Amino acid sequence: MAEDLVLDTAIRDWVLIPLSVVMVLIGILRYFVSKLMRSFQTPDPKIVKEGHFLFCRQVIVRARNLRAAANFITPKSFRSRRVYFSNEENGLLFVPKGQAQNLQAQMFSDPNMAMDMMKKNLSMIIPQTLTFAWVNFFFSGFVAAKIPFPLTQRFRSMLQNGIDLSTVDVSYVSSRSWYFLNLFGLRGLFSLILGEENATDDTQRMMQMSGFGFDPSKSLSAEKDGLDIVQHEWALPKFEHRAEAVLKKLVS
Amino acid sequence: MAGHSDSSSSEKKSSEAMNDVLVFSAENMQNNTKVIYYSRTFMSIIGGVIAGILGFTGFMGFVFYFLVMAITSIGLIAKAKFSVHSYFDSWNRIILDGFMGGLMSFVLFWTFAYDIVHIF
Repeated sequence: MAEDLVLDTAIRDWVLIPLSVVMVLIGILRYFVSKLMRSFQTPDPKIVKEGHFLFCRQVIVRARNLRAAANFITPKSFRSRRVYFSNEENGLLFVPKGQAQNLQAQMFSDPNMAMDMMKKNLSMIIPQTLTFAWVNFFFSGFVAAKIPFPLTQRFRSMLQNGIDLSTVDVSYVSSRSWYFLNLFGLRGLFSLILGEENATDDTQRMMQMSGFGFDPSKSLSAEKDGLDIVQHEWALPKFEHRAEAVLKKLVS
Repeated sequence: MAGHSDSSSSEKKSSEAMNDVLVFSAENMQNNTKVIYYSRTFMSIIGGVIAGILGFTGFMGFVFYFLVMAITSIGLIAKAKFSVHSYFDSWNRIILDGFMGGLMSFVLFWTFAYDIVHIF
């Protein structure tokens, strides 16, 4: 069944290349729009409600730093810091069960933060939806490209949705699948062009979104457990020997 | 070329070779990881275009992708002067990081070049 279809060169000129160019341009546009929107957000006077959330964030960062650098401070100071964090009554990391639920509910009912999340989500979803609709409307019903590797028959319905012949090789795909291929493949290109990995990576963003709700209670208790586990071994006495070794290497 | 000159000027030492305690400078590690990611993405795009022009199909194309990734890994290791532990925290990072993302870009550019050259 591996007959070689001869495809019109006009398809190359008017389908593949414009679609790729449009997607690249939309990605660049989205990057700049998100940059502009971020610079418009003035610091919110409602810091009180967000303040609790940010405070938890900072506490987590401090606890993490303490865990990482535990061996560089004296045993006594490490222990006192650890008690400060994981003390049963008023330690910063200790969150009683009832309060944990409260925090989550507070997070989701906060209209400001919800709107923020919605805005970020929308700026991602709308261009994708629009482009997909555009592709479906204009570029359906013909073979657009041939993918260089063979696939099984099960992919036929997914990749060849506009083409109603069932004997055509599955490698010949419609423009919808070219759209999806571009969607995933251009992420790497965007990270090269636009500097750093940014809003074009939707899967990372979605993980971040779902992470917000559980951020306070679970990660606090996780940090507390981690801190409790740490075995302190003071490394400073050995540093003199190390300095001596390094200097010897330099001098000799 | 831009990718390679980037990596040549910006891989920084992220840990000091100590006997017992390992200290990592997080910022440098992040920078090194970014360098690996850029190098891999760049190489997979170029590899995709080459595979398409040469007309690789099916399995050969994926073998070529692994070959390109291996060359990238070897290049990165050679750049780190073979002392991987002073630049990264584990072997896995320099070998496997960015593999999947690179695969998608490779397939896209492979399809693109293959179509333009062979079915044009």
